[in-house]
Amino acid sequence: VTRDTENEVARWLDAQLHLLDRQVLDVNGVPMAVVDDLELSGVPAGEEIPIDTPPPVITALLSGPVLATRIFGGRPPDSRMERTPWAAVEEVGVVVKLAVRQETSDLTWTERWVRDHIIGRIPGGRHIPEGEQHDNPQNDERGGS
Amino acid sequence: VIITDLLGSRVSGPDFLGFVSDVRFIFEPGSARQPPRLYGIIVSPHARSSSLGFERSGVRSPWPIAAFVRWRHRGSFLVQWGDIERLDIDRIQLRPGFQRGSPELH
Repeated sequence: VTRDTENEVARWLDAQLHLLDRQVLDVNGVPMAVVDDLELSGVPAGEEIPIDTPPPVITALLSGPVLATRIFGGRPPDSRMERTPWAAVEEVGVVVKLAVRQETSDLTWTERWVRDHIIGRIPGGRHIPEGEQHDNPQNDERGGS
Repeated sequence: VIITDLLGSRVSGPDFLGFVSDVRFIFEPGSARQPPRLYGIIVSPHARSSSLGFERSGVRSPWPIAAFVRWRHRGSFLVQWGDIERLDIDRIQLRPGFQRGSPELH
């Protein structure tokens, strides 16, 4: 599903089949995360749902450390789950493509932290490999030690 | 509520009916900027696990796996959002007179 497609026909999305465990790519095609969970709006848990209540919608994709909880049950604390608003989703297909760059997303803060505090302090760690300098204009912003 | 709270939940009507094997959403035509809305839940009487894509109509191969998965999920049905009376952690209650729809994806 591409959101910009006009006159598209209704399409079904099954959570397990089409969304969960799908790779998330940023606008440049860089892998960012995996869809571990989905956040739904306005579902009154434990209360009777009045007839004609509008159906909930997907408000965000969630990614986080879910391996242990999938094996042993339970769920990670909300604070450990990184949230990507559905508004950032551009396309749902074999992968989920976002309309944002990974640099602006909370999903990849660990990679940025490791890059800035560990890799960047290794001699040569801030040097752009030769031959790749012109592959990606963003390299120019980070390079140069 | 997050989706994994719903997956695998026990579903009851007047009696126990099964487990939520998947949750179905729909993109409405012309709602390009709207998020998918919940259409219904797929209830499997015998299995909590996913149908692995074999709920797509016409998918029959590889046949041993397709036959096994379809046997595991025999009797599955779709319940629309309007027929859900109460959502609780690990338990979903349906309204009296709820309708059973086809779980197949077209």
